Amino acid sequence: MKTMPYEYYVDIVTKRYFDGVDNYNLEKVLDCFHEDAVLTEVTSQTVHNGRDEGIRTMFEGLFAAHSRIWHGNFVHTVDEESGAICSQFSVEVTPQGADSELRYENCNRFYLVDGKFQRVFVYMSGDNLLK
Amino acid sequence: MQYQSELDRQGLMELAIENYFASVDAKDVDKALNCFHDNAMFTVQTAFTTHAGKAEIKRMLEDFTSAYEKIVHRDFEITVDSKNGRIAASFIAELTDGDGNTTLLQNTNFWRIRGSRFQEVYVYMSGENPLT
Repeated sequence: MKTMPYEYYVDIVTKRYFDGVDNYNLEKVLDCFHEDAVLTEVTSQTVHNGRDEGIRTMFEGLFAAHSRIWHGNFVHTVDEESGAICSQFSVEVTPQGADSELRYENCNRFYLVDGKFQRVFVYMSGDNLLK
Repeated sequence: MQYQSELDRQGLMELAIENYFASVDAKDVDKALNCFHDNAMFTVQTAFTTHAGKAEIKRMLEDFTSAYEKIVHRDFEITVDSKNGRIAASFIAELTDGDGNTTLLQNTNFWRIRGSRFQEVYVYMSGENPLT
């Protein structure tokens, strides 16, 4: 397994993954994952298998359901030795047709292999958006 | 906020796992409290609950440890950021009450260390919050 520098982990999470999510750029988001990656929403025990299957379908649903998505206020715990980054952050989303936004305080745990996400775990402070 | 930590990788893991969680599992509240600064903040983020200061954290830990016959934290997956004095861990919390009923939670904790103790702790839970 390749060892990546500290800033690589922060960049893939913020400048590639969440930037892709916030700008509805599905291909940019999916490029962060290995083909056989698994994303688990732990608070509802929802598992999405495969970059081009479950994970793609999950993001298509998220994008279709919201007119605005924003992630910010990040605090990262980066471990180059184990190839992991755990991130705490705020999320603001506006559901389609709604006047007001919803706010969440979430965390994600990303485990990387050779520079891409192999396992991702999501904890949400409210109802699961990642169905 | 960014704090100055005095602990290296091994020291961060010892504080969070061997000192804190081992003390909670042993129901040694005083030893667990020794891991915190007097003005530490303990937040269960998934329940929007914050315990501010050692007195509130002590009350929370006393209630928690007395509510269960047996408390086991296990299967840790640890992420250590020694450069920034931060550590995160996912784990199983196995809580058994007096009637033998067991609750399993799949949680993640984040600790921010100032000096050699916890300044901020954040807990994300897979189920109902027992740290009330």
